[in-house]
Amino acid sequence: MIELSHVSKRFGDEAAVDDISLQVPKGKFCALVGTSGCGKSTTLRMINRLIEHSEGDIILDGQAIDAYDPVKLRRRIGYVIQHTGLFPHWTVARNIGLVPRLLKWSATDVQYRVAELMHLLGLPVDEFGHKYPHQLSGGQAQRVGVARALAADPDILLMDEPFGALDPITREKLQDELAKLQARLHKTVVFVTHDMDEALKLADHLVVMRKGQIVQQGSPLALLQNPSDPFVESMLGGLERGLKQAALTRVKDHMTSMGPTLPAQSRIPGVFSLRQALSMMLRDHCDRLTVVDQHDMPVGELSLRRIIKEAQLDNGNTRE
Amino acid sequence: METRVNNSLSVAQPHTKAPQWLWPLMWGALLLGSVTVMSAAEPLFRWIEPDARQVIYERTELYVLLGRHLFVVGIAAVVTIIVGVAAGIAVTRRWGSDFLPLVAQLASLGQTFPPVAVLALAVPVLGFGTLPIIVALMLYGLLPIVRNTLAGLQGVEDDIKTAAHAMGMTPRQILRQVELPLAAPVILAGIRTSVTINIATAALGATVGASNLGDPIISGIVNGNMAYVAQGALTIALLALTIDSLFEVLQRQLRTCFSAS
Repeated sequence: MIELSHVSKRFGDEAAVDDISLQVPKGKFCALVGTSGCGKSTTLRMINRLIEHSEGDIILDGQAIDAYDPVKLRRRIGYVIQHTGLFPHWTVARNIGLVPRLLKWSATDVQYRVAELMHLLGLPVDEFGHKYPHQLSGGQAQRVGVARALAADPDILLMDEPFGALDPITREKLQDELAKLQARLHKTVVFVTHDMDEALKLADHLVVMRKGQIVQQGSPLALLQNPSDPFVESMLGGLERGLKQAALTRVKDHMTSMGPTLPAQSRIPGVFSLRQALSMMLRDHCDRLTVVDQHDMPVGELSLRRIIKEAQLDNGNTRE
Repeated sequence: METRVNNSLSVAQPHTKAPQWLWPLMWGALLLGSVTVMSAAEPLFRWIEPDARQVIYERTELYVLLGRHLFVVGIAAVVTIIVGVAAGIAVTRRWGSDFLPLVAQLASLGQTFPPVAVLALAVPVLGFGTLPIIVALMLYGLLPIVRNTLAGLQGVEDDIKTAAHAMGMTPRQILRQVELPLAAPVILAGIRTSVTINIATAALGATVGASNLGDPIISGIVNGNMAYVAQGALTIALLALTIDSLFEVLQRQLRTCFSAS
């Protein structure tokens, strides 16, 4: 559990972060989104005391962070940055084992943990353990960065634009992997990004920041349905907001049972999003899709009319 | 993990070992030859100075002079390395950053000041002998070391330092495990420049009574005996080449540490 209440950070007269309050419950994924210079990275760095806050309270598991020794505090918080910050003179295995070694784990424990993490992140230890960071691709290096952050099994993970420097395909892949990892590990994550799609995809709780202040926060769906001002709306993609919302909804949550008519030609797996369903309709020039399960067996159908109706219902509900 | 790193290094070494050590061994052998059996080359020096009464410098054995030369350069090197690296580290810490411009300027001032002038100023204070030349060498050799220590430490990427900090390393751990190892190749290059320059500069010590390989040169100039000058110069050059090629090996080994696969 991370709790920020009325936190500010001033550099001289300038307020980089201005009176923000925010709670990240244990096991939840919180994304801080905003344009560059909005104070989102500063907010993140205040949590592990890389930057000391000027006012307000930051509380970690019921205790103010000022009460912790900063070095010990940082050893129990995972941290991932954009350009990985891996030590170029250390092997991958040694990089990952850094925090456990700082915590004086035994050599065998460190070795075991490193192998476990590398396996978890799809980097076989025999192949990658003795490599140096410069021998890795961007995606592999960032996986190592994530493994290093997770090494001492911290409850909290801070991620500062971790995928910002990667190509779109690798980025998407790592986002999917992170989502899967989070579903397994249930870390309390604070994730900074300027990429709204990334935030919408990963976050349980979305915080939109501008000029050091929080403009709006809530669940991704709530923000999409009801942006509080034009800035949030433009961050959310303006006219494309509808599609982004559709991207958050799964086909199987909106399908109807098979009708008496002939099943539609085009098939879509139930785990896909409404956005993908719409795209498929546009591509195949149809207004009905057959929904299938993981074994490609038809389980229902989805019509364009249905999608539009659901969107109306959703928005209507939140307005009330 | 540690063993794996070592393994990969020891695998890399056999391929590079032979040619690596070739140059220092060769220069070293030539140097030893020149200080022990210079007299064997008497016909050559006789050809340079056909009219001189004596063409081989014999006032002091060359290997004795070599020893003294190495002693002077060595002491100066040890002190400059300690002072230079320590100063470079101090002014790149947060608490010492106010002194960064001052130290950088002082170090470059040390090198713009000609060693001869330092000697001239040092002799009245420190007297004749070895001490003034050591002081001159220290001042003169400080700049490359300070400059490269600064460049090396400042060249460590901020991302790496931030990550080290954020992982919970103490400033001391960051310095010893991250910054110094990463800056080491650059610092070593500075030490190499400093020592190599000082091997040549130390010969000036002969002018203020510090006996070393500069003796034959000074004596040769005073007596108009070019053969003496050639012997001193040759030995100093061979010494510089030996030491320089040793540094080359050191640097290459350091590089292997970073890129072994």
